[in-house]
Amino acid sequence: MSSTNQPNLNLKLLLIGNSSVGKSSLLLRFTDNEFLTDEETAATIGVDFKVKSIELDGKRYKLSVWDTAGQERFRTLTSSYYRGAQGVVLVYDVSSRPTFDELLKWFKEIDTYCGEGVVKMMVGNKVDKEFSRQVTTDEGKAFAQRMGALFIECSAKTRLGVPEAFEELVRRILANPILYSKSSATAARKAEPIRLEEETWTGGGCSC
Amino acid sequence: MPTELPYAAEAESSLGYEELQVLRTQYYKEIEQGHVTTQSKFNYGWGLVKSNTAELQTEGVKLLQEIYSASPAHRRECTYYIAVGYYKLKNYAYAKKFNDLLLSVEPENMQAQSLRTLIDQAVQRDGYIGMGLIAGAAAVTGLIVAGLVKRSRR
Repeated sequence: MSSTNQPNLNLKLLLIGNSSVGKSSLLLRFTDNEFLTDEETAATIGVDFKVKSIELDGKRYKLSVWDTAGQERFRTLTSSYYRGAQGVVLVYDVSSRPTFDELLKWFKEIDTYCGEGVVKMMVGNKVDKEFSRQVTTDEGKAFAQRMGALFIECSAKTRLGVPEAFEELVRRILANPILYSKSSATAARKAEPIRLEEETWTGGGCSC
Repeated sequence: MPTELPYAAEAESSLGYEELQVLRTQYYKEIEQGHVTTQSKFNYGWGLVKSNTAELQTEGVKLLQEIYSASPAHRRECTYYIAVGYYKLKNYAYAKKFNDLLLSVEPENMQAQSLRTLIDQAVQRDGYIGMGLIAGAAAVTGLIVAGLVKRSRR
């Protein structure tokens, strides 16, 4: 039933955030409406990728969502995927204070690698674990506002808020035509594509 | 609404020249300094596997196989990227071997599952062995596979 007279608009989105905050689970819930238990999931190796077509306000859009590994050892590698992204989803776990505290680091990465005007969406995941919440909604909201990002809380497990997060992000991208009118390969490119920092080279102990 | 075909992102997207150059420079700088960190070697191997020429991809697979043997902590990601490398080299038998190894440890790993689909499709299309058997790489792989067999006997 899709309209054949106008091509779908392709948008590139990126998921970032500490390991185990649920980036891959958010993506799986969004694209396939599935959820896997802890035992069934594997830490993302480098980068994963899914495509989903959505219909929003009567138009169709093709979303390419890049899911990056949160582990420190992949930081250098995943940085190259920021190129051309129109929207970035920064995920943290509302039941884990450190994943919230480290968001600043992820915001800095966006500033380093993304073009200006890229739309940022901060997502507090795992609200189903309300009993062990460590970051309040107000706190999340205030920080997002300070960083110029959209904000939503959600649960990949229950699906609460998940479609809304992506739809809101897409709406904001569409509100800024500069983001998608240029060719995506050059739109958001910066001079230095891969940054190498000493801390990146320590390897880390986790092999999961 | 269903998603499209499974997709192993690493199999298709390649790295820009300058991006690979950054990784190469770091790797060779460390060689000159006499100490190569596993991370730089891995990054460069990854970049090579993601390149567009068979020669570089072969070099990448070789580096990753060295890390695979030397650093058990990196075995998981090396296994995956070695499989991706062999897939890109159209050496589907080895691609499958390494990917199956990862799947045997992590049956639910969706990246490995989607790579398996890609390999199976390519096998149907191009035939099992494909055109990309590279002399040298095969010898290195022989060693690795022997190592794996030993490991699985434990």
